[in-house]
Amino acid sequence: MTRPNDHEHEDDHALAGEYVLGTLSLEQRKALEARLPNEPELQKAVMAWEERFLPYTGIADPVTPSDYLWPRIERSLASREALAKRARPTTAVPPRPRRMLHSLPLWRGAAGFGLAAALVMGVMLTNEITEPAISTTPEYMVVLLAPQTQSAGWVVQASSRQEIELIPLGTFEVPEGKALEFWTKADEWQAPVSLGLVEPGQPIRLRLDQLPPLEDNQLFELTLEDETGSATGLPTGPIEFIGRAVEI
Amino acid sequence: MTDVSSEFDHAAAIANCARGEHDALHQLYVHESARLLGVVIRIVKDRGMAEDIVHDACLNIWQRADSFDPDKGSARAWIFSIARHLALNAIRYRDREITFDSSAPTELDHDEQFQHASVVDEAFAWQTGQRMDSCLEALEPERRNCVLHAYVDGLSHAEIAAHTGAPLGTVKAWIKRSLLRLRECMA
Repeated sequence: MTRPNDHEHEDDHALAGEYVLGTLSLEQRKALEARLPNEPELQKAVMAWEERFLPYTGIADPVTPSDYLWPRIERSLASREALAKRARPTTAVPPRPRRMLHSLPLWRGAAGFGLAAALVMGVMLTNEITEPAISTTPEYMVVLLAPQTQSAGWVVQASSRQEIELIPLGTFEVPEGKALEFWTKADEWQAPVSLGLVEPGQPIRLRLDQLPPLEDNQLFELTLEDETGSATGLPTGPIEFIGRAVEI
Repeated sequence: MTDVSSEFDHAAAIANCARGEHDALHQLYVHESARLLGVVIRIVKDRGMAEDIVHDACLNIWQRADSFDPDKGSARAWIFSIARHLALNAIRYRDREITFDSSAPTELDHDEQFQHASVVDEAFAWQTGQRMDSCLEALEPERRNCVLHAYVDGLSHAEIAAHTGAPLGTVKAWIKRSLLRLRECMA
């Protein structure tokens, strides 16, 4: 007995298989990941393929991680927990930033990475996982992503157009003799302006008295520079994190 | 050869992560990080990026541990799927950024692993001490290799086409039909 949507189910099962294999394009992956939360049948199909192919992960030779990786993970855990604690006393603040974050395309891009895997297992992600705890209601928000992995590394929140706070979501290994330098540039500016060096894993609050008020779409980035900062006054090293301000 | 799935209770470790025990994540890391990193490196082909992804995967596992549901699937599949999909999204994102060489795949060297269908089977048997399951084994060797190279190396349709020398449409059809046959065989 064939039902009208049997073909659709078959197609979805093959699509789930291609998702797990990894042959889909980014757009196709995003489209499937977007469907997952609301489609239990698709979740089951993806899960069946995950289980099916799992033994073949054994084809890849194990590679021992560097000695720095676990300490780095531990520091990231600690800084997230510290961030969560810091925000806890002010949880009475209405969850306005939370809704904002959902509407940030950049943030959604970052959060979507890998989330589908959890959704497949019938997981409902809790909000505090993907969203930094926020202690005040900001006027502007920036999520700074690592360009390569698209993982969120820092959040900038501005409670006024003259004062911003840079909050780490994890930590970052700065190579010997290097430092992270913080930059911003509004659309009409000729060049980025340095906001100084920042310590990985450390939040920092800055007043932008010398600069025009913060505006929508203003660019923020962290680049890797020599430990005394860029000698030219302009970013010279690789961009480690980058994002644009969104008005709330 | 040891059975990797029986010597460590992944589900218990995840449950302990959900209770906030850092040590549980560390145990999981000690037990699986080398295999996770191996899987991710094969996909992203960049050691530094792979370590970043394992870092992110561990944080994801920690943060989502309380929502893991053992009734929906195995803990080990959950853990590896988190790392693999982070890696796959990262390379597909990277591929999209590199638009200038979209016509280049034909210039790639043909991968000799594709010339010898038995290599993947042997690698699998050698690495895992297991025989390939009968459903996968029943596929024609060339198609089976496409499926396994996609899974293990994160190759896109176009990359598989470049490696095998087969037309893109043929590769797409091979993979789709292989998946349908695997599904029938699994049922």
